[in-house]
Order: sequence, then structure tokens, then C-alpha cells
Amino acid sequence: MYFQKKRCIAMLLAGGQGSRLKILTENTAKPAVPFGGKYRIIDFPLSNCVNSGIDTVGILTQYQPLELNEYIGNGQPWGLNKSHCCAQVLPPYARSKKSEWYKGTANAIYQNIPFIERFDPDNVLILSGDHIYRMDYAAMLTHHEKAGADCTIAVRTVPMEEASRFGIMNTNPDGSIYEFEEKPPKPKSNNASMGIYIFRWSVLKKFLTEDEADPTSENDFGKNVIPALLNSGHKLWAYDFEGYWKDVGTIDSLWEANMDLLGTAPNFDIRSADKKISARNYALPSTYVAKQAKTVDSLIAEGGVIQGSVKHSVISNGCAIGEGAQVEDSVLMPGVTVEPGAIIRHAIIGEGTRICKGAIIGGAFGLGERKKISVVGKNETIEANAVVAPGEVR
Amino acid sequence: MNALGIIFANIYDSSLGELTNKRTMASLPYGGRYRQIDFSLSNMSNAGIRHIGIMSLYKYQSLMNHIGSGQEWDLELEEGGLEFLTPYSTSRNGSFRGKLEALSSVIVFLEEAQEDFVVLADSGVLCNIDLEKVLEAHIASGKDVTVVTKDGIADGKKPLSLAIRLDKKGEVADIAVDYTAGAGYLASTGIFVLRRDLLIHYVQENVARNLYRFERDFILQYFNQKEITVGVYQFEGLALFNESTLEYYRNNLALTNPEIQAGLFSAGRTIYTKVRNQVPVYYGENSDINECIISDGSVLEGTAEHSVFFRHVSLKEGATVKNSIIMNDCVIGEGAYVENAILDKEVVVRAGSRLVGAPENPVMVKKGEVV
Repeated sequence: MYFQKKRCIAMLLAGGQGSRLKILTENTAKPAVPFGGKYRIIDFPLSNCVNSGIDTVGILTQYQPLELNEYIGNGQPWGLNKSHCCAQVLPPYARSKKSEWYKGTANAIYQNIPFIERFDPDNVLILSGDHIYRMDYAAMLTHHEKAGADCTIAVRTVPMEEASRFGIMNTNPDGSIYEFEEKPPKPKSNNASMGIYIFRWSVLKKFLTEDEADPTSENDFGKNVIPALLNSGHKLWAYDFEGYWKDVGTIDSLWEANMDLLGTAPNFDIRSADKKISARNYALPSTYVAKQAKTVDSLIAEGGVIQGSVKHSVISNGCAIGEGAQVEDSVLMPGVTVEPGAIIRHAIIGEGTRICKGAIIGGAFGLGERKKISVVGKNETIEANAVVAPGEVR
Repeated sequence: MNALGIIFANIYDSSLGELTNKRTMASLPYGGRYRQIDFSLSNMSNAGIRHIGIMSLYKYQSLMNHIGSGQEWDLELEEGGLEFLTPYSTSRNGSFRGKLEALSSVIVFLEEAQEDFVVLADSGVLCNIDLEKVLEAHIASGKDVTVVTKDGIADGKKPLSLAIRLDKKGEVADIAVDYTAGAGYLASTGIFVLRRDLLIHYVQENVARNLYRFERDFILQYFNQKEITVGVYQFEGLALFNESTLEYYRNNLALTNPEIQAGLFSAGRTIYTKVRNQVPVYYGENSDINECIISDGSVLEGTAEHSVFFRHVSLKEGATVKNSIIMNDCVIGEGAYVENAILDKEVVVRAGSRLVGAPENPVMVKKGEVV
């Protein structure tokens, strides 16, 4: 194979377990979790790459990689299967002298230096596979090159009172970073790191190698590599991002991000024609909405048979909702069957699960009351007339 | 499977009027996200036929665009796979007169193939059929030609390209061509199986004698002269004949019947089509959608009843659609009213407009028109 020199390639960290998503990630890596009716979380950073003209993406997998590997395949759905571009899944592998798992985010990239070197890139974009957003990485890359930065970190403004939950970048008026604080108790600013970095490759390679040699390092970008760069006087710049961005690492935030797609003027408009999010598509028939059905303020993907009532919900590919069933304020992942008369409110139902007749999942909430999201895992069966309480995870 | 597939993309185009003005019968949109050819192509692919020629005589641009490399049907192969056969005309008036003449112009394709059998199919009849079983039955029967037929279609009114009456023993007793055969007849689905060498032989013989119609000049004549033996394979599943505008209209709306849907799509064999990156459908807060087929990319804010919506349709607030077929990228403006209509792709119905056809004679709006 002939490798073309690249201005920038992307490395997507997709190995995380996402334990806060509980049973939804029991057998599935977080980036492969279904989202928005027909997507998987990884479609967002992957489509952003394609829409930004970055055509070489290494996808670092480790935890439960089967589904993710299958989903990415040869990268064809994203147009990443051409002669000079690729979507390459990179699991940890055994070497002649030693073999090891990815110890941390920085170590995962370190172990794949040979992959990166084949493209002789000027820059490397580091992404994580658990955020829902649309972003033009090309604009960030231009900003990075113009500033002559060694590393550019995308930041977004968060409310001051929440700033202590994030990695905070303290910047000079020109945008250069003078200090990085990981979850500071008393934050000096509210520029939160989004975990999106562009590195000059020659610099990153050097620091990854040094980091690897340091036995006390946790081999993490935020904890080790970024501080090391700062301390040695390298040029780090912040890149301001405005627009929708959501970390979908928890049940609540995953549910909220799905709900953000709804409405006439949604918080996150996946319907807008520009910067399309691509997904692997399947040959499912169009959805059938029956005579007695009600479908209001909802997103419903293909291959569905809707005979019941759907309100303010996201219904994924191939779901069947029986007569008299009610689905409200909920997320149904692909292939869920809701039998007649079942009621689902404020819930996330995992792939391929069957909710039998008359079962009741979740509940309604009063105004201002904190919503407790019920969760049913993948390929489960909830027996007829069973009850899954609000906030219960099953 | 030891068979070569040939699909005729546009033999009966003229019967569908405006719908096939700028496209082949094969590329006619059906059922929200399909093109008619998807059924023949998927049937062949599902049966393990790995070498298929698509015979397209004219207006094949939209068809080629739809099929592409054939990867959606797993037919993007190093060997065999999909071939577009776009025969150049050799007849005096510059147009093709029938399947035999078309086949004779691509005789090299037939001669160079390795498979022993050929499965021929049209694009006007939609069904989900196990062609492996058909081939097995053909071989077991020992007949020269097997015609796949459907009972219950012949009604004394619908003209049939080929109709067959069986005797009590199940042997072919009578063959009629271009005839409004009565209920005693089985209608041909346009699917035929025969040996490849036999097909080559008879194509050459007919064309040499200036005969060009497959059903009339080959099946009927040679059967009557006892030159060939003909058998039938009676298909028990659902077969939709989309051979006139009214049939096309009714067979689309028929998909709102779950039994019809199941007959086409739930036979355990997938019907493949070109997939597209479209967003799931958004149903607005005031939408009221009943008994409809809905496809990705649409935003529905109005009212719809007993209709088929293709991809990326915009149904604005206060608009109503009833008993209609709305193809890709149409916009139905606020407060518009559409009933008994077929809107071809990219039609815009202005806010407040009324467009009403008759149930027996739906109003037809051409691609890209603004009404």
C-alpha cells in the first residue's frame, strides 16, 4: 500500500467502558451505544472528521470491541474506504518482547506510533468517542497552524459554578494557555477542555515517548502529557467552541441528549442539511404508522411498525409499538418491541428488548421534580404486567 | 446457484405513461424507499445468483444512478457481479422491438457466461420469491422452459403479456399472449427459467427470421409447434403487478395493509435497496399521521391519512394528504390539501393549494413541478 503524507490525521479514543452508563455498556463499548434513532455515538466524531476533510482515522478500541468493529467495518458508510484514506480499528496487540493493554489515553496513542508514522502527518487530532456535537476540525486546525501552536485544545465556556467538574484552561488575552487545572476546587476561569486536542506530531511523539519512560505517569493526556508540555514551555493554545456539545457518559445525559433532538426548534438540530451525520444504514422497509397510532413530537427511524401512541420520544430502527401501548419521554434503541397496552415513560430501553403486554416502565414526574430515568438493558424481556420503577435499572 | 440472471429494465414502460417519461420501469420508485428493480435484484441475490445482466434499452440514467456498483445487493464482485447491458440498436428504425432482439444484441454476454441456466425477470411485477426453489422445480420437471405464474390475477379485464391454462394433470393446456384472459388462466410474473444453451439457440433462430417477441414468437409459437415443452411454477406468495398507473397507485397504497407488507418484506429474505444517509423522521407537535408508510428524512407537521411518503418529504402545518403517493423531496405547503394524487419527485404544492383526483383516476404531478 502506498501512503500519502497527511496534514492531519485523527486518532479516536474508543476504548472506554463507560461504566456510568451501567447495563447499556455491559456488552457494548460506549462509542457503539445507539443514539438519536439510527446513529451510534461514534458517528458524531467520525462524521465531523469526514465533514472537516480529515480522511484518515485510527479508532482505538479495547473494551468490548466486537460490536464497534462490526459497525465500523471498512469505513464505507463514512466514505473512509478509499485508496488514500481509511478508518482503521486499532486494538491493543501483542509484541515480540511484551504485550499489554492500553494503560491510558496517552499510552494508547504511544502504542500506535507506527500506524501514525506511516502517514507522516504534520498534526494529529485526538478525539474521544463519547460526545455528541458537530464541529469543524478544519477551522481548529487552521487556527492551530496560524498560531504556530504545539498543541491546541478545544474549550467551551461552562457555568462558573460547574467549572470545578472539568479540566480548566486558564488563558492569556491572546488565547495562549498559561495554566491547566484538572477539576480545580477554586477555578480561575470557566474554559473547560472538551478533550479534543490537535498536536504537532513531532512534539507529541517526543512527549509520548518520554511519558512512556516515566514509570510514575498514569499515561493520560489530561493528567500527564498536557501538563508536561506546559511545564516545558511549549506553545499551547485554546480554541473556543460555541455550539451544542454534550458528554453522554451518564444515563441522565444520554437521555437528555436524545430529548435535545426533539421539538420544532431543537437544542441540537440533526435535521439541518449541512454537515450531515453519517451512519451505517440497513435495508429496512419504511415505517408503518397504523390507523389508530399517535405520533407526536418524536423522531422515528426506519423499519418501524407503530400502532400505539408515541409522544416526545426517540424511536430507533426496527421498533414495533403495539396497539394501545404508550411511549412517552423515552428512548427506544434499535429493535425494541413494545407489546399492546405496555406503558413506557422516562426510560431508555436497550437494543432488542421486549416489553410484554401491560408492563409499566418508569413514571411521570411533577413540574420541577427531578426526573429519574428507568433503564432496561439489551435483549431483555420484561414480563407481562411487570413494573420497572422510576429510576430502576434492569 | 448455477444460473445467470437477466433483468429487463424497460420492456413495458409505455403502459405507465408519465411515470416512466424520464425513467425505466425498473427505476420507478415504490413503497417509500425502493425502486421496482430492487425486488428482482434482491430475489436473484438472495438465491445466490452472482452474475446478473441488467438489460436497459433507454432512459437508463436514473437506473444506473440507483444501482451503482451493486454493493447494496452484494453484487460488487471481482468475478461476475452486475453488468449493465445497454444494447445498441441494430434494427432498421433504431429502436428495439422485444426481448429476443435485445438478447440477440448481447448474445456475447450469454455465450461467455459459465452458468448452465438463465433466470429472466421483468421489473413490473413485485414479489419476494425463493428462486432456488424455482430452479430446483425446473430441473425436476424436465421441461424446456418454466414460467413462474400467479393465480388470481387474470380477471378477463387485465391484459396479460402471457397467460397459461393448465389441464387437470397440471400440464400446460393453452398459452395466450397479450390477452385479457379470464379467471381460468394463470398470469405470467415475467420470471422464466431455461437452459442457457437453449436460450442462445432460440434467440438466434428467431432473430434470423425477424421475430423478436419472447412470449409470442418463442414461448407461444414453439410450444404450439411442439418444439419446446413448457411448465409452470405456481408462486403462492404475494405478487403485485404494477403494469398500469392505476395498479401502481393501488399497489403502493396497499402497503398500508400489514398483510401486504408482510408478504413483500417478511418472507425471511431481505429486499435490498440503495441506502441513504437520512435523518429519522420528525413528527411535529401538531402532526396527525394515520395509516401511512413513512420514510427517513421527512418532517411531518400536518395531517396524513392512507398515503405513502418517500424520503425527505416536508409536510407543513395545516396541510392534509389523503390516499396519495408523495415521492422524494416533495414539499406540501401550509394548509394545502392533496387527495388521490401521485406527486413525482421534488414537487412543490404551494400553501393553500388544492389538488384532488378521483380514486379511479389519481391526479399525477410531474417531477419538479410547482402547483
